[in-house]
Amino acid sequence: MVAETLFAVRRNARLYRRSLGAVVRAVLEYVADFWILIAAGIVTQSLGLVFLSVVMSRVPHLNGWSYPEMVLIYGLAGVSSGIVPVLSDGIWQLASFIHNGQLDYALTRPAPPLMQVMSAWVGFNGVGDLVASAAMLTWALTRVDVHWTPLNVLILLILMISGIALRLAMCVVANTVSFWLRMPMPMFAMTAWQVGELARYPLGIYGFGLRFLLGAAAPFAFAGFFPAAWLLDRGGYAWLGILTPVVAVLWWIFAVWLFRRGLRRYDSAGH
Amino acid sequence: MALLEAHDLTKTFRRPEKDPGLRGSFKHLFQRKYSTKTAVGGVDLSIEAGEAVAYVGPNGAGKSTTIKLLTGIVEPTSGEVRIGGLVPHRNRVANSRQIGVLFGQRTQLWWDLPVRESLALLRDMYDLSPDRFRAQLKRFDEVLGLDELLPVVARKLSLGQRMRADLACALLHDPRIVFLDEPTIGLDIAVKDRVREFLRQLKAEGTTIMLTTHDLGDIEDTCERIVIIDGGRVIYDGSLAQVKDRYARERRVHLQLGSELTVTELADRFPQATVTAGAEGRREFTIAFDKAELTAGAVLAGVAQIAEVLEVKIDEPAIEDVVRKVYAGELLLAEGSTP
Ligand SMILES: Nc1ncnc2c1ncn2[C@@H]1O[C@H](COP(=O)(O)OP(=O)(O)OP(=O)(O)O)[C@@H](O)[C@H]1O
Ligand SMILES: [Mg+2]
Repeated sequence: MVAETLFAVRRNARLYRRSLGAVVRAVLEYVADFWILIAAGIVTQSLGLVFLSVVMSRVPHLNGWSYPEMVLIYGLAGVSSGIVPVLSDGIWQLASFIHNGQLDYALTRPAPPLMQVMSAWVGFNGVGDLVASAAMLTWALTRVDVHWTPLNVLILLILMISGIALRLAMCVVANTVSFWLRMPMPMFAMTAWQVGELARYPLGIYGFGLRFLLGAAAPFAFAGFFPAAWLLDRGGYAWLGILTPVVAVLWWIFAVWLFRRGLRRYDSAGH
Repeated sequence: MALLEAHDLTKTFRRPEKDPGLRGSFKHLFQRKYSTKTAVGGVDLSIEAGEAVAYVGPNGAGKSTTIKLLTGIVEPTSGEVRIGGLVPHRNRVANSRQIGVLFGQRTQLWWDLPVRESLALLRDMYDLSPDRFRAQLKRFDEVLGLDELLPVVARKLSLGQRMRADLACALLHDPRIVFLDEPTIGLDIAVKDRVREFLRQLKAEGTTIMLTTHDLGDIEDTCERIVIIDGGRVIYDGSLAQVKDRYARERRVHLQLGSELTVTELADRFPQATVTAGAEGRREFTIAFDKAELTAGAVLAGVAQIAEVLEVKIDEPAIEDVVRKVYAGELLLAEGSTP
């Protein structure tokens, strides 16, 4: 049983890698696009940072957070949201796949359909996001007041990976809604993604409604803010950060379940 | 138990009912109304291993929908399907190893990749060893001329090339049963012949085939069984030869003569037949008869006694004619149903 599961996981990981690799080779046919997309990602992230810097140049502390601490949250959230397009940009095409009946063949192949959809495309803008966010994160980590031990380095890594997994699961859920909405564009997921951008700032600056939304209902805060609060040992709710892996696992269970439910509604298209 | 068993298979689609125009769409936002459309209604089907079944019917009859139900792409509204004991839409992954699928109007190739890479991705999914993969490519090259297509990016393939590559995709893993939905749609005669040759070969190798087409030339050499569907219901299921025998007995002999004759002269000789004059007046005739009452040989021998025969062409009715009769509601095939 365990051996079987392990075998399946390894097999799917290999298929995922091959699939993404094939897309990368295909995209490299359009080399110019590739560089433009990466540059676009870097520019977007940098503009966000400029905005943050302008705000912080007026107020040295925002809701009790210093500039490097703000950059830490911003970078952490940026890394997790930058990886989504790299690993699973195909999920954004789900709405149009459903609308045009393009899932047909995916359902007749011996690989999980969700995996085939996720790996159908690679968003190189994510590479730019990732590069810029990783730079911010590195800069911030060397400036924040943390007593580094091997243990908290390890935990931070686990929290970051969980944050990435959580963002992926949330992205899958938001796009899977297309099975019910039946629009050719993933409007719901795009809105949800915009909401996620709000989670790149300390949760405390928001009122109760948004705090509830970002912390619990659509817990983007676990992919940046809560892990940062835990690392900086903020007290109060900061311990929530350590729950990130649990939240990620729960969201993945929900995502897979919802996708399966969605597939049962799939009607292909006439002809 | 048969390889494929479908019982009372039904699929109804829900369609939004909107009044035309923007106004109608807006109204639909608040007052949702739907109508249902039964695409497939209570189809029973049983296919034995090694059989080749033609699944024909007019546009919108429910052929493609049936195939989507049988392959597990869409879930039936009611009824059940089993292929080799598996329920396709519940055991998609296990089932996909025993079936091959081709939709003629849609490719499964990765749009921006060379054909070779698409096949390699499928190889990985189906866990084929490199040796098996190579052997399969070689086999496909022999009938489908695959080699010249391997380095071409899918979006640059012509329709016929694409279809050949898609056939290779559908059959790469040697499925027990293949579903081919219009595999010759839009192809020229040469490519069609290639595809038909490939089908004959598959059949000879013992692959079970279910084939839909509007070009009945596709099935004449391959399928021994024909299922006719209309309005989502099976209206005939039986042997192709029997259908032809029972409903397609008319033969037409076209003659070109070296000397002149009249229609009456010929009609007197063959009272069972209908004689018509061709374009060239008294040197060209068509003699139509029921093959149970007369033979082409007898016609030729008879004509040869009174005139010199320069050229002969014998038309067998295509199965098209039969199906056309069914479409037109001329035939009630109750007696022939389910052998
Ligand atoms: N996804 C869908 N949603 C709604 N209605 C559909 C859908 N797919 C098919 N239909 C309807 O179901 C009926 C049967 O369609 P189907 O595609 O199975 O016909 P077909 O026999 O394959 O026809 P053709 O020879 O034109 O390919 C049609 O009336 C079609 O409009
Ligand atoms: Mg069809």
